[in-house]
Amino acid sequence: MFKVFGVVLVVLAIALAVVPTFTDCQSQGKMITLANGKTTPMKCHWTGIAEIGVAVPLAVVGGMMTLSRRRNNLTNLSVLGVVLGGLAIAFPAGLIGVCQTPTMSCVTAMKPALVSLGSLTAGISVIGLVMSRKAKELS
Amino acid sequence: MNVFRIALRNIRGNAVKSLTVFMCVLGVAAFFVATTLIVRGAQNSLERGLERLGADILVVPTGAENKMESAILMGTPIKLWMPKQNLEKVSQIEGVSQATPQIYLQSLFGAPCCAVNEMFMVVFDPETDFSVTPWLNQHMGRGLAKGEVIGGTHIFLLEGEEYLKLYGYNLDLIGTLEPTGIGIDATLFMTMETAQELAKYSPQTAILPLEIPKDSISSVMVKVKPGVNPHAVSVQIEREIGGVVPIESPNLFGAFRQQMLGLLGVFIVMLGLAYIVSAVLIGLVFSMAAHERRREMAVLRATGATPFFIFRTLWTEAALLAVAGGAAGVALSSITIYIFRDYLAGTLGTPFLFPSFGSFMGLFVLALALSLATVSIAVVVPAYRISRQEPALAMKE
Repeated sequence: MFKVFGVVLVVLAIALAVVPTFTDCQSQGKMITLANGKTTPMKCHWTGIAEIGVAVPLAVVGGMMTLSRRRNNLTNLSVLGVVLGGLAIAFPAGLIGVCQTPTMSCVTAMKPALVSLGSLTAGISVIGLVMSRKAKELS
Repeated sequence: MNVFRIALRNIRGNAVKSLTVFMCVLGVAAFFVATTLIVRGAQNSLERGLERLGADILVVPTGAENKMESAILMGTPIKLWMPKQNLEKVSQIEGVSQATPQIYLQSLFGAPCCAVNEMFMVVFDPETDFSVTPWLNQHMGRGLAKGEVIGGTHIFLLEGEEYLKLYGYNLDLIGTLEPTGIGIDATLFMTMETAQELAKYSPQTAILPLEIPKDSISSVMVKVKPGVNPHAVSVQIEREIGGVVPIESPNLFGAFRQQMLGLLGVFIVMLGLAYIVSAVLIGLVFSMAAHERRREMAVLRATGATPFFIFRTLWTEAALLAVAGGAAGVALSSITIYIFRDYLAGTLGTPFLFPSFGSFMGLFVLALALSLATVSIAVVVPAYRISRQEPALAMKE
């Protein structure tokens, strides 16, 4: 079962890294124009970058989960999964946030997608945590 | 051993069959709920929007009907002008209870204030208005003072800002209206006094001045007297006032309603196809499973079980899978639609408002009933056949 969880976490990690690329405001050609005429990305773009920072360790966690057979390792990996899932939710929901305009794609698509993916990550990791505590030593 | 326990054991015993039936039912229920939510969501939204307008008839300049509809529906700014005298003329028509003017303006393109590139602004006359003023009186206990505005649910103040800056003028956003799912959500409402103030200062404070032609209005909102047919009043307005078109509120969004009807037709056909394919597949899977278990059923018959008991066992098994699959389908599609509602509305180009809890529960029960019906129809033949088989023959095989 942990092999399946590991593969699912890797898939979720890829989705967390890729989704913002297509749904942040910059991907729709929207940027902030400064007083000097230069343009700069909106904050949803930085949320997308931060999600890559969550996705990379999450992919490693998923990969290790597929390989690991020790109960303690699986428990620790599941705890990491929960934390990373929480972070994936926290970046768009509060830590960095998304744009203020309710009709922008980062609000309508990127934020709900990241929150859903983060919730799935945390949910699967919680199930993994419970199962790893109940399971006998696999090795 | 009771029917329920046998059914549960059978579900656990044949995981592939159970999963196939579960997924088929989940698919049908999810599709049914998703399509119903989208169509009902659009209807809800239109009804809420019409309620917010509060008018029985809208009088606009000739040729502006479609523009007017898209302004209300999608919040697309429009420029309509007609002589102010039309208000007087409309008020004098027999059967008209109240008539109030509105002026339509728009913000400068890409103004940092706004939810959209060009924000639709509606100017009303607080003396005669029956659209926004009742809401203001109910929620604020007063009307709008000079420089004060209210907006739809998508109108907001920028972080750290106290005022909404339009044409270089600081407007005080004192409230936001409840969501309607249509363009009103991205519309700003202000009084004639505030609009005149904006127009007065805009040549000095904005890149482009705000122009409001003298003695002109954009539309007249009409409320008819109780018991009077709005259509008769509408015909009268068309006959007596030149250069204007009355739009009765039930006919508003006519093109959109047609579009939704077309979409509903496509949805019904697709749902029908999905329903038939699922029912056939479930029937097939159950036939195969029943064929494999004919000896087991024969033993049950030999130990005294009646054909009706066998039939009930198989039907209960199917019903349990139907309820579980149906509930999962409803949960999956409604959560997805709820989370991505704004994205879906934007992509499909339809207004959308999630239904009330009561309607949603009704939909939930309907989806479960549909799932149960699908599975019942699919299993009735294989269940009947296996329940009627001769035990001795089945065991001999």
